[in-house]
Amino acid sequence: MTENLGWLLAWGTIVGLDLVSVSQVMIARPLVAGTVAGLIAGDPVAGGMVGAILELFALDILPVGASPYPDYGLGAVAAAVTVAGAPGALGIGLAVGVGLLVAYLGELGIREVRRRNTADVRRQRGALDAGDRRAMSAIQLRGLARDAVRAFTVTAAGLLLAAAASRWPPVTVRGAVLVTVVLIGAGIGAAAAGAMRLSGPGFGLRWFALGLVAGAAWVIVL
Amino acid sequence: MNGRLLLAWLRTLLVQASWNYDRMVGVGAAYASEPMLRDLPGGVGGERYKKAMARAGQFFNAHPYMAGIAIGAVARAEHEGVPAESIRRLRHALIGPLGSLGDKLVWAGVLPAAAGIGLAVAATASPLAGALSFLVVYNVVHIAARGWALRAGWRSGTRVAQALTAGGIQRGLRLVGPIAAVSVGLAIPVLADWLAQDFSTRTRLSIGLVAGLGVVLSRWLVPTIGALRYGLIVAAFAIVVGWLW
Repeated sequence: MTENLGWLLAWGTIVGLDLVSVSQVMIARPLVAGTVAGLIAGDPVAGGMVGAILELFALDILPVGASPYPDYGLGAVAAAVTVAGAPGALGIGLAVGVGLLVAYLGELGIREVRRRNTADVRRQRGALDAGDRRAMSAIQLRGLARDAVRAFTVTAAGLLLAAAASRWPPVTVRGAVLVTVVLIGAGIGAAAAGAMRLSGPGFGLRWFALGLVAGAAWVIVL
Repeated sequence: MNGRLLLAWLRTLLVQASWNYDRMVGVGAAYASEPMLRDLPGGVGGERYKKAMARAGQFFNAHPYMAGIAIGAVARAEHEGVPAESIRRLRHALIGPLGSLGDKLVWAGVLPAAAGIGLAVAATASPLAGALSFLVVYNVVHIAARGWALRAGWRSGTRVAQALTAGGIQRGLRLVGPIAAVSVGLAIPVLADWLAQDFSTRTRLSIGLVAGLGVVLSRWLVPTIGALRYGLIVAAFAIVVGWLW
């Protein structure tokens, strides 16, 4: 990991900024963030796999309005590094666990950035109400800088956690398989519950059921 | 104006950069609309420009992709010399509809639809192909939506409600929900099969059991738990059991 540390930190910072502050082209989605982090760490398939599991968790939540949400993208970066090189199913559960923890840290970071932005805007109220464009640009720039610091710090913490989990796994081999099984199941459950909530009752739910049947048929036939 | 419209569009990509609890995306909206206000009578530093900027920086919230509608409409209204109170009312009137439109169209529609496609491709081809197909499908709509929003707002000004009730938008709203539901529904079994490929039938059944428990818990028993908390709780439980095992 150490030889790619700079690239991983840079990727994590970009991913963290994409979540809210810059463009939202969705490189912050765990499927994308995890696959690219896996590519950097040397195992894009494993990175994509843990990214896909975290994507299932991410499908449960809508980033609507003022709701702060878990930063699954940064979680996927840490998870991809944790799983890179780990044998088969053994590392996946542990990596997803690390990813969930980092996603939560990212959410706490978003709350802190928003608190600091609010204090900044209150301090600049006079200039804003006078239509001072320089004050507005400066507030935007400081907001971006805060979010970049958040993304960088959470990525660094995630990489530390990943290194610790790989070096001192807190489970036996059987335990690692158990964690993998449980977290794959939890992810599928979260995505299904999220999709049911999105579909609403009746008509929408029938479309979801149709998709499930089509997917099951695909698996059986192909 | 085309160059300034393009600059304003680029700035809409940063509309949430200073998101805060007091004005939400108000400062970001002012930052994005600033290039469109530069040629108000008196120019930058003129009285109308300053007053327009001060109004643009007040409280505002909307879906980030749809904020361009309000940014464009308000900038047009400032150019047309619409009274300040009417502009304030226009901004406030747009908050609810733009939030609702973006949430339904993007967060509850295009995003899960593209994610479902990406996950299915990841499971059947490769994760890299899955990630790329997700990004392409999602951003074709995303970039088009942002471009349409700013142009529609700028064209319409105070008559912006007409743009929101346009046939294309209504058709999109009707179609995107079912597409998202089918897409996620299709992706779940395909992805589950890929993720569980190394496991025995008994282990696969265990995965299904945990998934079912998750649905029951988050749909009916503890709907406020959220996927992250549920994931962290079951992970901690599994680690403890695995450690003792």
